[in-house]
Amino acid sequence: MGKPDKEAMKALRQQRKAYIDRAKQEIKKQRKLIKAIKGQIREEAKTVPRIAAATKLPSDQVLLFIAAMRKYGQVIEVDKDGDYFTYKLSAEA
Amino acid sequence: MMKETHSFQYDALVIGGGIAGLQSALDLADQGFKVAVVEKDATIGGTMIRLSKVFPTLDCASCITTPKMAAASHNDNIDLFTYCQVNSLTRSDGTLKASITQKPRYVDPDKCIGCRQCEYQCPVYVKDEEQGGFSLRKAVYIPFSNAIPQLALIDVQHCSLCGMCAKVCPTEAIDYFQQPEQFVIEAKTAILATGFKLTPIDQKKEYGAGQVANVISSLQMERLLAPHGPYQRVIRPSDGKEPDSIAYVQCAGSRDLSLGVPYCSRVCCMYAIKQAMLLSGALPLADITIYYMDIRAFGKGYEQFFQNAKAMGIEFVKAKVGKIEQGENQNVLLRIEEQEGDGRVVRREHDLVVLSLGMVPDWNPAGICPVTTDTDAFIKCVQPKLAPTLTEMEGVFVAGVAAGPKDIVDTIAEAGAAAMEASNYLNTLSSGQAA
Ligand SMILES: Cc1cc2nc3c(=O)[nH]c(=O)nc-3n(C[C@H](O)[C@H](O)[C@H](O)COP(=O)(O)OP(=O)(O)OC[C@H]3O[C@@H](n4cnc5c(N)ncnc54)[C@H](O)[C@@H]3O)c2cc1C
Ligand code: SF4
Ligand code: SF4
Repeated sequence: MGKPDKEAMKALRQQRKAYIDRAKQEIKKQRKLIKAIKGQIREEAKTVPRIAAATKLPSDQVLLFIAAMRKYGQVIEVDKDGDYFTYKLSAEA
Repeated sequence: MMKETHSFQYDALVIGGGIAGLQSALDLADQGFKVAVVEKDATIGGTMIRLSKVFPTLDCASCITTPKMAAASHNDNIDLFTYCQVNSLTRSDGTLKASITQKPRYVDPDKCIGCRQCEYQCPVYVKDEEQGGFSLRKAVYIPFSNAIPQLALIDVQHCSLCGMCAKVCPTEAIDYFQQPEQFVIEAKTAILATGFKLTPIDQKKEYGAGQVANVISSLQMERLLAPHGPYQRVIRPSDGKEPDSIAYVQCAGSRDLSLGVPYCSRVCCMYAIKQAMLLSGALPLADITIYYMDIRAFGKGYEQFFQNAKAMGIEFVKAKVGKIEQGENQNVLLRIEEQEGDGRVVRREHDLVVLSLGMVPDWNPAGICPVTTDTDAFIKCVQPKLAPTLTEMEGVFVAGVAAGPKDIVDTIAEAGAAAMEASNYLNTLSSGQAA
């Protein structure tokens, strides 16, 4: 697609308003969550329960985002601490 | 109303691009027939490409499925129509006509080179069903790394229409305005290979209705065991703990009249044993228990497979699991009625519990084509003993789990048989003998 026509994009935005509004809300929430997780593992590798306790986020949400951030190259697994693995921000993040 | 624009002619139409559909298509193509494969997902491969390893050989599923997928996509006699919906399949004047809708990917398939730059830059994360919901993808994404075709698609329900993907795409492939396209496939014969889905994990109140943390489905466990899984190792989804104790609940969605699935799903015993073996390799110190009513190890080499699992230390407990609840520390508490010894009711706690859910058909032909289903809702075979791939519709055959639960070995054999029936039918037509 070349540069989309402004008017046509405006009409499409109107048509998909409900989806777009929800997606924008999601982006806001997700950015906050990712920022909080990143803040915890920038200097030190931590386990999911430690990140969850420090950020007050549910541990399953923390793991979900750690998995996604690993997939997109922002987080690496470091080593093991008891029954849990530790994660740290990657050099690229 | 949308116009029916194109019409394509083939010898054979295969509906469903799982292992059954691909095997049938390849067998027909090898005999020189032109074949169209219509798949509803954005990629071919069906369940098998999403598995970790396969019983009884423990071959890597992706290593044996990917070459079949690639062979079908490179075969000059096969055309793949992915991300398509079959609206109707009817016969008129001796020809089968399928009305198909190409769902919009919002990406031009002729321009997309599968580079994933759009996916990396998209700001919206969405639960990734391809990873059992244990990881996230983006609103624009390629389903997985060995998906065929390697084309991106936009999930408009989660797209903020920020324009980032169009900005970064090196080939100008993003098309926010794409519309569904309607077309017709005409063929002389068809094979239905629409496979199965699992019974819903939240179906059973006694099993926590999907609300108990660390109770997962067998397909989710396949993803945990897969080399490209969400965590690249087996940890539990609630908090990342490496489980010390894992349990399987057999017949969790089968042989249960209350769920409308009175039949045995046939593969659950074997895949549970397979997963248990893989788990004891991945987590040598973990205790693995299988709660079962009967073990059905029916195929060649399967009994030995079961015996090997026992010898590896996997615990088999003949018992009915009555209730599943959340225990302490995100553990899972099972209430078990033992079926051996004095039949006591006991409580046992595990870190992670896998439900061996039942298989139900993924497609109901009602209102789409005049093929009927059996009492189990799978497609009815009119000669189940002598010609198990024949349906009620002339020139239309069935293969794989579309006809009833079965494993990959039986699926492949049946897909070959369906291709042979279809090829005979085509040859009879061309020699002018068919009705
Ligand atoms: C957890 C688990 C583990 C397993 N492990 C093993 C194992 O180790 N070894 C083994 O032998 N078997 C195993 N099996 C069984 C195996 O998955 C099946 O035997 C096999 O996938 C059947 O292939 P199929 O092509 O018939 O169906 P599917 O794999 O379900 O493929 C059907 C295809 O049709 C498509 N489709 C459905 N409806 C339509 C429609 N209306 N239009 C177009 N396309 C449609 C679907 O999207 C899908 O791509 C396992 C099953 C499960 C659940
Ligand atoms: S337009 Fe939609 S799909 Fe594309 S980057 Fe933005 S949110 Fe993602
Ligand atoms: S749509 Fe563009 S950016 Fe996305 S994978 Fe295709 S070519 Fe790459």
